[in-house]
Amino acid sequence: MEMTRSVPSGSASSVAVSTVADDNYKRIPIGLERGSGSRKLLARMLRVMFPHPQIGDDPYIRTAEAVLNMACEKPGRQVAFAAAIQDLMNLKFEEMDDAAALDHLRGMQGHDFFTQVQGSALLAFYDDPEVWEALGYEGPSFDKGGYVNRGFNDLDWLPEPRIEEYQGGEA
Amino acid sequence: MTQIAQDEPAVVIIGSGAGGGTLAYELTKQGIPCVVLEAGPYLKNEDYENDEWKAFHQMAWLDPRTTSGSWRIAKDFPALPAWIVKAVGGTTTHWSGATPRFKDHEFKALSTYGKVEGANLLDWPITLAEMEPYYDRAEIAMGSTHRHGRKALPANNNYKVFANGAERVGYKMYATGPYATNAEPYDGRPASIQDGFNFQGDKSGAKWSIMVREIPRALETGLLDLRPDSHAVRITHDAAGKADAVIYADKDGHLQRQAARVVCVAGNSIETARLLLLSDSSRYPKGLANGSDQVGRNYMRHLTGSVYARFDKPVRMYRGETMAGLIADEARHDPSRGFVGGFYMETISLGPAFLAAFAEPGAWGPEFAEIMNAYANTAGMWIVGEDMPQETNRVTLSEKVRDQWDLPVANVHFDDHANDVAMREYGYGRAEAIYGAVGAIGHHRTPPYPSTHNLGTCRMSADPSDGVCDRNGRTHEVENLFISDGSQMTTGAAANPTLTIVALAMRQADHLAGELKRGNL
Ligand SMILES: Cc1cc2nc3c(=O)[nH]c(=O)nc-3n(C[C@H](O)[C@H](O)[C@H](O)COP(=O)(O)OP(=O)(O)OC[C@H]3O[C@@H](n4cnc5c(N)ncnc54)[C@H](O)[C@@H]3O)c2cc1C
Repeated sequence: MEMTRSVPSGSASSVAVSTVADDNYKRIPIGLERGSGSRKLLARMLRVMFPHPQIGDDPYIRTAEAVLNMACEKPGRQVAFAAAIQDLMNLKFEEMDDAAALDHLRGMQGHDFFTQVQGSALLAFYDDPEVWEALGYEGPSFDKGGYVNRGFNDLDWLPEPRIEEYQGGEA
Repeated sequence: MTQIAQDEPAVVIIGSGAGGGTLAYELTKQGIPCVVLEAGPYLKNEDYENDEWKAFHQMAWLDPRTTSGSWRIAKDFPALPAWIVKAVGGTTTHWSGATPRFKDHEFKALSTYGKVEGANLLDWPITLAEMEPYYDRAEIAMGSTHRHGRKALPANNNYKVFANGAERVGYKMYATGPYATNAEPYDGRPASIQDGFNFQGDKSGAKWSIMVREIPRALETGLLDLRPDSHAVRITHDAAGKADAVIYADKDGHLQRQAARVVCVAGNSIETARLLLLSDSSRYPKGLANGSDQVGRNYMRHLTGSVYARFDKPVRMYRGETMAGLIADEARHDPSRGFVGGFYMETISLGPAFLAAFAEPGAWGPEFAEIMNAYANTAGMWIVGEDMPQETNRVTLSEKVRDQWDLPVANVHFDDHANDVAMREYGYGRAEAIYGAVGAIGHHRTPPYPSTHNLGTCRMSADPSDGVCDRNGRTHEVENLFISDGSQMTTGAAANPTLTIVALAMRQADHLAGELKRGNL
């Protein structure tokens, strides 16, 4: 499982790197291509990483695809991902129950493969409009006239607070 | 648009953000032609995206940078020390709008706080009294609420939680501003539609930015030669040591030269210092205007930290003006709290995409999912306070990484000072008390984001050996070279910096216009 550490990973460093290659992973037969089961395995890994019972499989699958696309941008990363995913398949990761799967992932923390999956999946998953909806976020609003007439101040479980500055001088 | 000949020695301003954009308008308004070189593209409000990552990738400064030091940013976001915009209008496009003034004692940090071990404190060479008329002008220009007759913004949901909590723990000085976004139409701009997109650029124009006021008005004077996609790479000087031109890379990477009579640098602290360091010569071996060796040092980013609290009822913090809520009770100097200087608390909201990336970088698993699951019931606040200037917190040229022009990138080194750590811990505690008082069922302490307030790398000082520029932003060493952005700040104060950057630029414009008219430059 130990993988090359030459790539500076850091979960969120991928923030400054925007490119997501198109779907070349589907075509290259080294174990990540469609039909290899890699997408399904990764989707399971992602559900254990970001467990939201109210969210269906689709966003997890889309995120798995985004992760695989990222992995396929560079041959070294691609082959490392293929090996790591094959390893998880050999260990029958998909058959583990939630607790065992979580335990297993904890053991992988800090490894390049894990860090890269975590970093890129986090960005893709929580950027998915279906996930936004499930979490109660409404997305773009300017085209709908903002929230000025759509509840920007509809919280009713606390009293209306003062909005002006305190008139009693420095407290 | 006006074209100024490249061989005509002009007033050249580098950067079109809060500092550079203000200066350009204030000078052209007084009849002085200016060239503005802006590294980023010319985007308009209608181009902005109501989408966190799209907006970020559209406008943020993503040219490489590197980091070092013990700050957590160096581990979590090693290539992204700061959140700065690279576009016409600079970071005022993504800024939020909080506009408190600095306080009198904050201009006298060394005299007020005394010597603080490890800190490089200094008094400013200007006082609040001198700044007051410019603060008035800046507030009027920016349309700050609660000032000069501008109406307060209404309470949004996030503010209701924040203000009620503040009241219950005994705070008094809370309000929905001052905040530079219109509650009602003002200055040709509409009232806020509370769309919740501030950090992404405001499509409606209700929020003040250099793009809605200073740039269009400066263009109207017919005296502004605005050059987007023009990245300044070196300031050159003549045999007498005076700045005489700015070399810049255009969109296609071709070098251009603009002759200069005066050069004003406003690239936002990191790039301002980098450009001076890149402009070394045998006369200025450590970089232009760097005889004191202070260029790049005393980099400050404000204290910062956020607390996101969960409730058992809906909040929907993302609806409405992001930062229209401020508590000022802790913005005082009271060493009995265990630190010098003070801090503000301000409402903040992130969408799920950014909250996931920034709430606890690197986190995953059930506890992290719980934070995200509570999204609709979450309230958020930001703690922003004075951090200590330290000589070793520093922007230098990277020895390893180069940018698209093959120039060394900026390395940003930062270690928290013990005073910063003590203030942040105290601030987190106060934030939790506020949310606890209105029934929070859980909360999360979020570490500082990539720095949005970048200050101090070319600071003002009375004594040339302590800093880089004088009370007018003129560099001690090069008489026609000015620092025109937040890098001038001698210390950071607790308040968000932009009002002060704009006021300083207005003050500098008056000084420059006078000097130019008197033939001194
Ligand atoms: C999300 C967010 C929220 C914020 N909210 C607030 C707030 O509520 N209140 C507040 O006071 N402040 C806020 N700020 C901070 C505020 O945006 C900055 O303080 C302010 O914009 C800094 O002004 P400046 O002129 O120093 O730099 P900027 O506004 O960043 O402008 C610098 C410009 O210079 C250009 N540039 C840099 N190098 C070169 C070069 N070599 N050649 C040509 N051009 C160059 C850049 O592309 C940029 O356009 C916020 C910032 C962010 C990111």
